[in-house]
Amino acid sequence: MERFFKSDFFYDFLRAPVAIISFCVVALLVLSAIFAQFIAPTNPFDPASLELMNGFTPPMEPNMFTGDVFLLGADDQGRDLFSAILYGLRISLFVGIMAVSLAMVMGVLLGLIAGYVGGWLDNLIMRLADIQMTFPSILIAMLIFGVARGLLPPELRYEMAITVLIISIGLSEWVPFARTVRGTTMVEKEKEYVAAAQLIGLKRWQIMIRHILPNVLGPVLVIATITFALAIIAEASLSFLGVGAPRTEPSLGTLIRVGQDFLFSGEWWILLFPALTLLALALAVNLLGDWLRDTLNPRLK
Amino acid sequence: MDDNLLEVRNISVTFKNRYGTLKALDNLSLNVKKGEILGLVGESGAGKSMTGAAILGLIDPPGHMSSGEIWYKGKCINDAHEAIRGREISMIFQDPLMSLNPLRRIGDQLLETILTHMNVTKSEAIKRARKGLEEVGIDPNRLNSYPHTFSGGMRQRVVIALALAPEPSLIIADEPTTALDVSVQAQILDLLKNLCKERGTSIILVTHDMGVIAQTTDRVGVLYAGRLAEIGDTREVLTNPKHPYTKGLVDSTPRIDANSFYKELYQISGTMPKLDAMPNGCAFHPRCEFAIDKCSKETPQVFSDRAACWLLENEAIVE
Amino acid sequence: MLVIIFRRLGQSILVLFIVALISFLIFRYVGNPVDNLMGQEATLAQRAALIEALGLNDPFYKQYFNFIWKALQFDFGNSYRGALPVSELIASRLPATIELAVTSAFFALVLGVIIGIYTAINRGGYIANLILSTSLIGVSLPTFLIGVLLIWLFAVELKWLPSFGRGDVVQLGWWSTGFLTISGIKSLVLPSITLGLYQLTLIMRLTRSEMLEVMRQDYVRFAKALGLSSKQVNFNHALPNTLVPVITIAGLQLGSIVAFAIITETVFQWPGVGLLFINAVYFVDIPVMSAYLLLVGVLFVIINLIVDLLYLAIDPRLRDSNTSE
Repeated sequence: MERFFKSDFFYDFLRAPVAIISFCVVALLVLSAIFAQFIAPTNPFDPASLELMNGFTPPMEPNMFTGDVFLLGADDQGRDLFSAILYGLRISLFVGIMAVSLAMVMGVLLGLIAGYVGGWLDNLIMRLADIQMTFPSILIAMLIFGVARGLLPPELRYEMAITVLIISIGLSEWVPFARTVRGTTMVEKEKEYVAAAQLIGLKRWQIMIRHILPNVLGPVLVIATITFALAIIAEASLSFLGVGAPRTEPSLGTLIRVGQDFLFSGEWWILLFPALTLLALALAVNLLGDWLRDTLNPRLK
Repeated sequence: MDDNLLEVRNISVTFKNRYGTLKALDNLSLNVKKGEILGLVGESGAGKSMTGAAILGLIDPPGHMSSGEIWYKGKCINDAHEAIRGREISMIFQDPLMSLNPLRRIGDQLLETILTHMNVTKSEAIKRARKGLEEVGIDPNRLNSYPHTFSGGMRQRVVIALALAPEPSLIIADEPTTALDVSVQAQILDLLKNLCKERGTSIILVTHDMGVIAQTTDRVGVLYAGRLAEIGDTREVLTNPKHPYTKGLVDSTPRIDANSFYKELYQISGTMPKLDAMPNGCAFHPRCEFAIDKCSKETPQVFSDRAACWLLENEAIVE
Repeated sequence: MLVIIFRRLGQSILVLFIVALISFLIFRYVGNPVDNLMGQEATLAQRAALIEALGLNDPFYKQYFNFIWKALQFDFGNSYRGALPVSELIASRLPATIELAVTSAFFALVLGVIIGIYTAINRGGYIANLILSTSLIGVSLPTFLIGVLLIWLFAVELKWLPSFGRGDVVQLGWWSTGFLTISGIKSLVLPSITLGLYQLTLIMRLTRSEMLEVMRQDYVRFAKALGLSSKQVNFNHALPNTLVPVITIAGLQLGSIVAFAIITETVFQWPGVGLLFINAVYFVDIPVMSAYLLLVGVLFVIINLIVDLLYLAIDPRLRDSNTSE
């Protein structure tokens, strides 16, 4: 830990105000999502807590029937928007983190196999990656989502919506991880120490993992951060299109979808606050990713 | 001093990084006479190429010339680099493979340069471009060829034709043969030397090769860690070096003759200091066998217009 | 040069076969063609007859090639919803998507390259830095949010432009165009900006970084040392070399535009293929999904091929790769 604070990495971090602010924004949003049930005044997923009379209450104005005041206003069903955003943020972050983890595990594994085994398996995996890369990942995520819905019995479609969402986004983002890990693996494989360590009886793949993982840690971290931003945006987009998180468990994208319906009638807050939260999250993660890439990639320095 | 074509007066080039302000060139002065070939020699990072870039005002940011003046034909050109580039002073870079725009025919590049600087018609410019190619030994009918169809040596010939096209009075050649095959190096150097002699064009030849210095140049400046160590007539400097660093350089150059064939080469111990870890006083003193007390305290100036070494201080007064 | 073109062509065809395979797998195994053509009340004998008629008992490869053969004749079966032929559905909606995609691609490419060059040449300048920081927000803004915000500002608050649909269209044969009426053009503005903005920021940032990279190259330094004016250096030497990679990426981005058109079309209720696809995903209309995938695959392969050919046209080194050393 002490080594971390004395490292160049930490030194650079302290001298990059953009990185510090972005980090704080992300940390704040993640913490408020984790502790949502303690911060949020109501539980937006509990239909019993909703009072339809509270529908469309503007922010910081008492409702004309009930007198209730909402910090960020209430939506059409009288749901407290602030609570809904906190819980929605939780779903968005959860889907994002799980999807990136899935993509990372899959990409790192396939990259290791491709680089280590080589031959036709390598060819197969990398051609697959090439073909997948010609299609934008959001399209692939939608397609996987559609296929998964087709395969699931209709009664499970809503229950499994979040899982399906995670899988479709995760499967659409593995390629950059695989390419990076494969490259490093192929370089490490040829090094003398691998052969030398084999002579003293260590298994080759054990040695490889011990040497490859530290080498790819930096690039994988950068890709993971950037992919995380992409995953959050993808989740929001899918949910906005109505093929993601269901209305009963709204993510930020679902909230924005709902908000769009009330733009013309003047209830702007239902749209604005979820949109700002999503923008802040995506922007902060993107900035952090940009900074990480510049810092960890000495070639660009 | 009237025959000086170019005078570099006490220039410093600095740039900032995380560790503070670094001096890539420190208080450097030198001069180039009309028609002569001045060699600049030193290890990589000594500031040879930086000197060339400074003369043309082509230092890449974040570096900049923080002090000093550059005088050309009796005028200070600190703020007039653009007017002298190409027309008065031209430059040849190290790697001919990278010096030509890969997407444009060499003829287009020649014509563009000629039409920019010379007040001639297009047909006259084409005539000149063909003549320029012929002079460097390239078939003028290849005006319409792209750079990638030439070999490295041929491309450097094209580069020379381009640099000479506006008829400049001075050419800065930055390691013009380093990237080429050994067998081609001598041809290119001879070509450059002869073409410039014919036109009375001066050359600043930047190199790390003492052999090239000995064969090609009239005078030589030795750079060490961004400072001038020694300057003078090439024969004089090579046979009777005054600065211990020059002496080390000369002694460490391999020679192919019967006497020295079995002798071990001399080595200068240690390495040149990095710009962010410059010692006090003379930059060379940590590696110098002859260092005296003063060397580690004060930076020596150039004594007798020859060498920056405290050992010469008293000699200079006597002279 | 011909060798390169043929090799690329071969690769493209291989990719198409794989995309067709995935389309086929979705078509054949995710959906159940029999269930969707017949109600629950059909007898076993009727089902068996249909299975035979559809060739569902044929060996896998035969069904696959049968699928491709039909696809080549634009026969993708019927949509599960409304039982219209999929090809008819797509054909009626294709012009809307193509007009939208082409307009936004043009907007993104032209503005993106111009702004990119400007920010590269005026590196560190006040306006350039402002553009650069704004562009980061542009990259982080999801497409649908841009659309919603534009609707809010220009349709709801200012009431300048329509918020949904194509406006009035003119029928030219089977092609319906919105370019010929004022309401059609007005309707195109917001969706094109929405769809193009992300690509614009991407192309702008790419142009900038490529140009800065090129400006560090020796041939640019040499051009400067030869005393060429900064205009000559920037536009005759740096720019062409910048455009080679920019064109590649921009071309590939055209594919993304088609994909993101799904989102834009949903926001603006634009009657294109994207809206058709997203409804198909929502209602699990397998034949439409499968046909859309194939269509997009063909489109992307064609785009990639065109980009490769453009590449050859720009870069002489690739054009006669046999003469280089």
